[in-house]
Amino acid sequence: MPHANKFLCSFAALGALFFASEAAAQAHSHADHATTENAPSDFLDVPATSLIPGDIKIKPGVKNPAAEDSGSAQRGMKYFANFNCSGCHAANGGGGMGPALSNRAFIYGDEPEQIYLSIAQGRPAGMPAWGTVLPKPVIWDLVSYIRSISDAPNPQWGSTTSLEAFTIEQVPAEFKETPDPWKYTEPFSFGQQPRPKKAAGEG
Amino acid sequence: MTRELRAIVVFAVLCATGLLVVVAAHAQPQDDVQNEPGTSEGSSIPARELANPVTPPQAEDTADDTAPEVDPPAASVEDEQDETQHGETAIYSNDTDDAAKPASGLEALSADPKQWPMAGRDYGLTRFSELNEINIENAGRLQMAWTFSLGTNRGQEAAPLIIDNVLYVVGPYPNRVFALDATTGELKWMYTPKPNPAAQGVACCDVVNRGLAYNDGRIFLNTLDAHTVALDAKTGKEIWYIKLGEINRGETITMAPLAAAGKVFVGNSGGEMGVRGWLTALDQETGEIAWRAYSTGPDEDVLIGDDFEPYYDHYKEKDLGVSSWPPDHWKNGGGTVWGWVSYDPELNLVFYGTANPGPWNSNQRPGDNLWTTTLFARDADTGRAKWAYQVNPHDLWDYDEINENILLDLEIDGRARKVLVHVGRNGFMYVMDRKTGEIISADKYGNTNSIERIDLETGRPIENESMKPELGKVIRNVCPASPGAKDWQPSAWSPRTKLLYVPHQNLCMNFKTSEVGYIAGTPFVGATVDMYAGPGGHRGEFLAWDPIKREKVWAIKEHFPVWSGTVVTAGDVAFYGTMDRWFKAVNAKTGELLWKFRAGSGFIGQPVTYEGSDGRQYVAILSGVGGWSGAVAAAEIDPRVRNGALGFTGAMQDLPAYTLGGSELLVFAIPETDRAEARNTYGGGDHAARQ
Repeated sequence: MPHANKFLCSFAALGALFFASEAAAQAHSHADHATTENAPSDFLDVPATSLIPGDIKIKPGVKNPAAEDSGSAQRGMKYFANFNCSGCHAANGGGGMGPALSNRAFIYGDEPEQIYLSIAQGRPAGMPAWGTVLPKPVIWDLVSYIRSISDAPNPQWGSTTSLEAFTIEQVPAEFKETPDPWKYTEPFSFGQQPRPKKAAGEG
Repeated sequence: MTRELRAIVVFAVLCATGLLVVVAAHAQPQDDVQNEPGTSEGSSIPARELANPVTPPQAEDTADDTAPEVDPPAASVEDEQDETQHGETAIYSNDTDDAAKPASGLEALSADPKQWPMAGRDYGLTRFSELNEINIENAGRLQMAWTFSLGTNRGQEAAPLIIDNVLYVVGPYPNRVFALDATTGELKWMYTPKPNPAAQGVACCDVVNRGLAYNDGRIFLNTLDAHTVALDAKTGKEIWYIKLGEINRGETITMAPLAAAGKVFVGNSGGEMGVRGWLTALDQETGEIAWRAYSTGPDEDVLIGDDFEPYYDHYKEKDLGVSSWPPDHWKNGGGTVWGWVSYDPELNLVFYGTANPGPWNSNQRPGDNLWTTTLFARDADTGRAKWAYQVNPHDLWDYDEINENILLDLEIDGRARKVLVHVGRNGFMYVMDRKTGEIISADKYGNTNSIERIDLETGRPIENESMKPELGKVIRNVCPASPGAKDWQPSAWSPRTKLLYVPHQNLCMNFKTSEVGYIAGTPFVGATVDMYAGPGGHRGEFLAWDPIKREKVWAIKEHFPVWSGTVVTAGDVAFYGTMDRWFKAVNAKTGELLWKFRAGSGFIGQPVTYEGSDGRQYVAILSGVGGWSGAVAAAEIDPRVRNGALGFTGAMQDLPAYTLGGSELLVFAIPETDRAEARNTYGGGDHAARQ
């Protein structure tokens, strides 16, 4: 495998076209679950806001082809690390260079097709445009994962911040790698060392 | 290469690296990964291959790989349309006070206690002021004089400059510059640059700016999108600007430039993005690049030649910036220069430190990774290295060493020594001979268990084996955490108390490394980090340290990291701010609290002091929490997810219950009625005698 990889890399510049198609084929064989293709024109109707003139409802005909695929979020978690999404948005989407993805708050909309377009097109304040470098099924798996990690407990309409209102935190990613981090919570630590009682996966 | 073809190449290489990583990841056990790096066939990809650069420019760049990249020449504003500026200047007053002609030379300005002409106050970065109107007897009566809002509520790390009663200050992205009457607070002009908003997405640790520089009637500004701009200090009009880095390679600029020797010294940021670090000297008059010294690569690029005389022998081999890395990894190896530059006019040397190697996952870069986390002394005119010292060879925990190097003349063991004091991120206080690069002493000043001691024979740290990262394994309780025992926040030195005042933090961490692939313009980290309070439970400390006796004299524990700078005065008062919104004045001899003020937002800025046109002493600081430590309160970060903000969220998760971001410049003075007495009676300070 390492030899094959080196071979690909060193030849990429020379045989760009050939290897692009090879790599794309490889990507598809990875994501052959994704048989439903969205028509490119359908994406043109996906709004980045909920304000539509004429008070009409828009239901773009775009679907996540992996919506029914139970492995999609798990694959998305790997892509999230491998394409360095986690470097900006942090493990479990806690936020950093890029905004948090863990709290149901999406600037450009939280529908799957809206998240898809945020990844594919990029956004002006720092989100890179991945559409020309990532195959579509990879982006859809990322959408599945992001929808999964954003599923925060939602006890009230807004959110209250106070020392008393801090009640839970996630089991940190160094102990628990999962596409469902909100299923594993502990009492809030107030900046102190988290208690390791539920720690899993420690070497 | 056409645009389409270029995109295909990127796609192909991404797939060849990134997607094969995916294949490998599928074959790996999901938790508890403990493979040896690059040895287990089929389950992990050797680091050097993951690290292959994939940017189109680098893919094209075959013949000329090793030559320093010469950036576009400075754009002279006069050469373009007259009315075209890189940014906009709004003039608010017609105050053309010809009498306020700038004094000649920064050394003269530094010698005048009324001024604060550079972020560190003087070339030695002492941050000491001879003003003593505010002193330990009356500091308790400090009052607000005036305030000004910069209008951007992100981390405010900049030091205001004061030259001839004009206060110059810069905000975080979008890096607006303001000139205000330092006595009345009246706005004279504002300059709005046009940094690319996308730069925000490649700035690792909030969108901060640490300050401006001034010389010969010019203000020098660095913007987040890696431009440097010269402005007319009187009018705010652009004189020149130049693009120094490329955000598509992850380069930004956040440091305060230093103006010295007719040049402006600027370094890049982006150590978390696989950037190749550099310090660039610009001609102060034209903005043209006089020289650029890279932190990695062949000696030719690092500006190492026959006149390089490092104190320790193991730096004497040729091209160590290449050979101490896996093949080609130095091209993405980090060593950025986002901290402080100091200058010794007598030796004509500039001193600065370089940042961490990339990625944080040390398994991917066997070798010492020179010249990252390295202190350099360079000839200011040519850039050629005089000596170098690598603080953390093969850095394991992201201990950048960009912290300030304070230049002092001390008597040590009966000898007068010209020293450089480096308050290391690794928790050690280095006192070095600044002519030779010899370590005179290196002592722990913070809670450090990752490094046991510094071997003074070789200069190398002796690391604690049990704290070393192992791929995929959680190493617990590493102290200090990645921001170190002290980060960028600068210390101050009082020649009166002979003490160094050190704002710093007390944090430890869990640290787990993982393989990461290099994709230009995206993070190159490979570590899952989770920080928390160190021993004692407090997260910060304001420390007074005696560098001659090599011991702590006193310390004040703080709830949160002390991420502000500090200033100390001839009134024997030291000032600093806390992240929970207190601005404090303490007795520099004892640490006793003299006064505190509760501001609108937490402090991560640098306090300064100066004399106004009315003869009063003022103290100024920006309020506005943020930065790496405070991002959880100023940016969109979830306090319940500990690994956010490169792991800093864990240690700061309760900060939003104390403060949100802000952008207020605060200026304080003692009441008129207390002044005359103060001036004439306190401590026989030089300033009283001078009047």
